Amino acid sequence: MKQTALSLPALRGVVESMSDDGLRPAREAALRSLDTRGLPTLRDEDWKYTDLSSAIAISNQWLKNGAPAASDDLQGSIDEITAAVAANWLIVANGVIDDTRFTPGDAIDVERFSATTAPIVADRALADLNVALLQDGLRIRVHATPERPLGILVIDSANDAAAVSQANIEICVSDNCSAEIVEYHASVGEGDHYANTIVSLDTGYRSQVGYTRIQNRRIGHVFTGRISAALGTDSTLDMANYDIGGGLVRNDVDINLAATGAAANFNGLYLVGDNQHIDNHTSVEHRVGPAVSSQEYRGILNGSCRAVWNGKAIVFEGADGTDATQANHNLLLSERSEIDAKPELEIYAEDVKCAHGTTVGQLDETALFYLQSRGIDKMQGRQMLTHAFAVDLVSRTPVDATRDAVNALVSARLEELIRVQAQ
Amino acid sequence: MLEIENLHSQIGGTDILRGLSLNVNAGEVHAIMGPNGSGKSTLAQVIAGHEEYVVTDGSVTYKGADLLSLDPEERARDGIFLGFQYPVEIPGVNNAYLLKAAMNAKRKHLGLEEIDAFEFLKLAKERMAMLGMDPKFLNRGVNEGFSGGEKKRNEILQMAMLEPSLAILDETDSGLDIDALKAVAEGVNSLRTPERAIVLVTHYQRLLDYIEPDFVHVLSEGRIVRSGDKSLALELEDKGYDWVREAANG
Repeated sequence: MKQTALSLPALRGVVESMSDDGLRPAREAALRSLDTRGLPTLRDEDWKYTDLSSAIAISNQWLKNGAPAASDDLQGSIDEITAAVAANWLIVANGVIDDTRFTPGDAIDVERFSATTAPIVADRALADLNVALLQDGLRIRVHATPERPLGILVIDSANDAAAVSQANIEICVSDNCSAEIVEYHASVGEGDHYANTIVSLDTGYRSQVGYTRIQNRRIGHVFTGRISAALGTDSTLDMANYDIGGGLVRNDVDINLAATGAAANFNGLYLVGDNQHIDNHTSVEHRVGPAVSSQEYRGILNGSCRAVWNGKAIVFEGADGTDATQANHNLLLSERSEIDAKPELEIYAEDVKCAHGTTVGQLDETALFYLQSRGIDKMQGRQMLTHAFAVDLVSRTPVDATRDAVNALVSARLEELIRVQAQ
Repeated sequence: MLEIENLHSQIGGTDILRGLSLNVNAGEVHAIMGPNGSGKSTLAQVIAGHEEYVVTDGSVTYKGADLLSLDPEERARDGIFLGFQYPVEIPGVNNAYLLKAAMNAKRKHLGLEEIDAFEFLKLAKERMAMLGMDPKFLNRGVNEGFSGGEKKRNEILQMAMLEPSLAILDETDSGLDIDALKAVAEGVNSLRTPERAIVLVTHYQRLLDYIEPDFVHVLSEGRIVRSGDKSLALELEDKGYDWVREAANG
C-alpha cells in the first residue's frame, strides 16, 4: 500500500524558522534522525492496523502553509476542564506552555527544556517528529508529596486551517514520594488537527504514583500519544487510560520494570463510535524480578469503527519472580465495528507467573429482557448494560479527583454511542 | 384482569402452548402446576413478552386491552411483574439503581413525578426488613454473587417495590431452603390484596402450603387439563403427574 510521505524539505524549512533557543541542536538532531528512520508505515509490525497517512497529510498541509501558530482563545475550554478536575494545572495550549494556572511550591519543581542543557531523548520516529517541532518541553520534579494532584492539560484548536502540535513532558517522582497525576487531552475546532505527545515518567525508590490519563479530543482529530514509565525499586504505578474521543488515535504505554519490587497496574477503557479508530499498544519489559505488572483494557464499540488492543509483555532472562497478567474485554454492539485484540507474551525467565485473556462479546440479551420486564425500555437497558461493562474501570480510577469527571465523560459518551442503534 | 384464550406459542419452531385458556381476576391467587416441559415457564414468558416465544394463535387480554401487542417494558409499566425462575446477574448495575429506574419508569407512565431519594430509601429498607434482607444488598450489583435464596428474595423485593397488578412468579420456590421459602411466602402473602392478582408457577405443592391459592390448574402438553381448588394440589402430590397425563389422554 502506498502511503503519503512526510515532506522533509518543508519540515526542515519550518525547523530552521523556529527560534534560535537551547532546543535548536536537539531539533536538528531529531530532523536528521527522522530522515533516517522515517515515520512508521503499515509494513511495521507495530503499526499494521493503524495508518498514519492522515497525520502525515495534515502535517504536510500545515508545513506547506508555513506552520502557522493557532491563536484561538482556548480559555473557555480550559476553564471548563480545570473546573471539573481539582488539580494544580500545567497547560500546553496549541503547543505552547502556559503555566499561569500553576501554583509553584506544592512539592513540585518545573523547568522548561529551553532553560536547561539536559539532553532531550528521542528514541523513535514519532519522538523525532515531536522534538523537531517542539516549541518547548516541561521537566517536572515531584520532590515531596503534593497536596493536590498535578494536572497536565494538552489542548489544541484547529479552526481555519490544518494544525499540528507537539507536547513533551518529563516527570520524575523522587524517592519515597506519593504523587497523583492527571494527563488530559482535549481539542476543539472544525479544522484538521494532529497532536503528538510524549510523556516520560520516572518513579523513585518506594514512590507511589496514581496516574489518570483522559483522551477526549474532538472526533476527527488525530492523536498519537505515548507514555513511557521507568519504575524504581519497590515503587508502584497505578494508571488508568480513558479514551472518550479522538478520530484516529494511537496510544503507546511502555512500562520498564528494571528494579525489583516494582509494580505497574494499568487499565484502559476505550469508547469507540462512528469515524473513530482507537489503537492501544502496551508494552511491559520485565527486566528483573520480582516485579508485578497487570493490565485490564475494556472496549465498547458501536457503529462503523475500529479499535486495536495489542498487549506485549517481555520477561527477560533472569527476571524470576515476575508476575504479569493482561486482560482485554470488548463489547461489540454493531456488525460494522471491528476489534483487533492481540496479546503477546515473550518469556525468557524460569520462575514466572503470566496470564492473559481476551474476550469479544455482545450485550447479554437475557439481561436486557430482565431489565425490560422491570419497565426499562430497550434503549435505557442497553445503556445500563454497557455502562455496567465500563463502570468497574471507572470506579478504579487511580486519582480520586478525576472520578466524577471520568464518570460524567464516560456516561455522556456511552449515551451518544448507544443512541446509534446497533446495526 | 387477565383473559387468555386458546393460546398457542412456540419457541424455535417447536410448539409449546397448544390452546391454553385461563381467566384470572383481581384478588385471586392461581397456581399453575405441571410436569417439566408442560409449558408453565413458557406461559410466564409469553405474558411478560419475551420475544423468542412466538404466539401463533389465540389472544391475551389484560385490563381489557390486547396484551400481545405491547413491548415487555410497556407491560411492566402497566402493572405486570414476572418473578424469574433464574434471576439474571447484572454486575455493574446496582440493585438500588435498578429499583429506582424501574419505579420511575412506571411512575412516568402513570404521569407521576420521580420518586424522592429519601422516600425511596425508606420504602426499600422497610420492604427489605419484611423479607429479611440486609440493606447492604441495595448497593450490590443486581443478583451479583447472590445465593439462590437471596436472588428469589430480591425478586420479591422488586415485586414489593413495583406493586404490580398482576404478578407471575415462576418457580419462585425452586432452590430455596425452608427458611428462605417461608420468608418469600410471607413476602408474597403480604402483597395479597383485593386489587392484585398473583399467578404462581410451580412444580411442587410445597410452596402452596405457605401461599394458599384460590385456584389450582394443571398444565400438560401446553393445555390446562384440570382446574380445581387447593385440594387439587394435594391430590397431585399424592398421585403424581402421571395421573394427570392419563386423565388428559383418557
